[in-house]
Amino acid sequence: MKWKKSDLNQYKQAKEYIDTILIPLVPFHLSNDNTMEKSAFQSEVLSVFTNEIENELSGRIMLTPNYSYLKSADQEMEVERLNTWVYDLQKQPFNHVFFVTFDAAWKKNEQAMQGTLVWLPGLHSGDLHNKEMHALIRDQVEQIGELIRSYW
Amino acid sequence: MSEKKQQVSRRQFLNYTLTGVGGFMAAGMLAPMLRMAVDPVLKTSSHGDLANVSLSVDDITDEPQRVDWKIDQVDGWYESEVTKTAWVYKDENDEILAFSPICKHLGCFVSWEGSEDFPDEFYCPCHGGRYYKDGTNVPGTPPLAPLDQFEQKVEDGMLFLGEAKEQGEA
Repeated sequence: MKWKKSDLNQYKQAKEYIDTILIPLVPFHLSNDNTMEKSAFQSEVLSVFTNEIENELSGRIMLTPNYSYLKSADQEMEVERLNTWVYDLQKQPFNHVFFVTFDAAWKKNEQAMQGTLVWLPGLHSGDLHNKEMHALIRDQVEQIGELIRSYW
Repeated sequence: MSEKKQQVSRRQFLNYTLTGVGGFMAAGMLAPMLRMAVDPVLKTSSHGDLANVSLSVDDITDEPQRVDWKIDQVDGWYESEVTKTAWVYKDENDEILAFSPICKHLGCFVSWEGSEDFPDEFYCPCHGGRYYKDGTNVPGTPPLAPLDQFEQKVEDGMLFLGEAKEQGEA
């Protein structure tokens, strides 16, 4: 399920089956010329990623819009803001909350987060459209899917 | 020869031009009509939507295998390349069957023998939905309908797949 009218319509009728939330954490900045390409690339890859996972397990997963934040922002403050998202979600019967990110900074504050952090070691560059990249993403999606299933 | 220059009289000339122009106008009117009448013949057959999935018929076994292929899809605002997937195998009558992997319950991705507990069945990891090899849903599991089946044809030994079609209630 995605944050889309048609999906939410279905969600309302099948709430009891959809118990897992997936929140992509996407850092954003335009202040540093050296890293902005890399950040944008990772954000692209992450959206391919999360869409694929949602595709495979759409009957039990709700994919939220990206949680965007400034790369330079205070991490503890961000955790707090992110948790307000989780509190809102918990008004619905969601049992599992997963955060997916390429940003290792979250790892340090994992304990304070109200959910399971899935940190993916970053892909720095490459071509999103070539075959090897597809195979790589396929592979990783499968493994993350397995991880999520192990929580069910 | 020069005396015969004026072979065409004024009357004849007018006749010719009028017939010519009239014929031209009639043709202009008739051509679209004719085109419409034969239109169904010229239409490309609906098989045009079937896509080559790069799988040779000889490689299809009685064990369902996963096939991925891409199609261009126009969806409202977006024109995009969509990856489609099917589970393809030959049944005991050597007929090729291609099932959609989309679970009829809530749309998860079912896998052939996706669970060790249920061999010889399609298994949905989300809520334990199961389907027999012929796509029929196992009673008592969440899905209420059999898996969709793809339109298919074989041309030059290659498999072509089209739209997934719903099967009747089980």
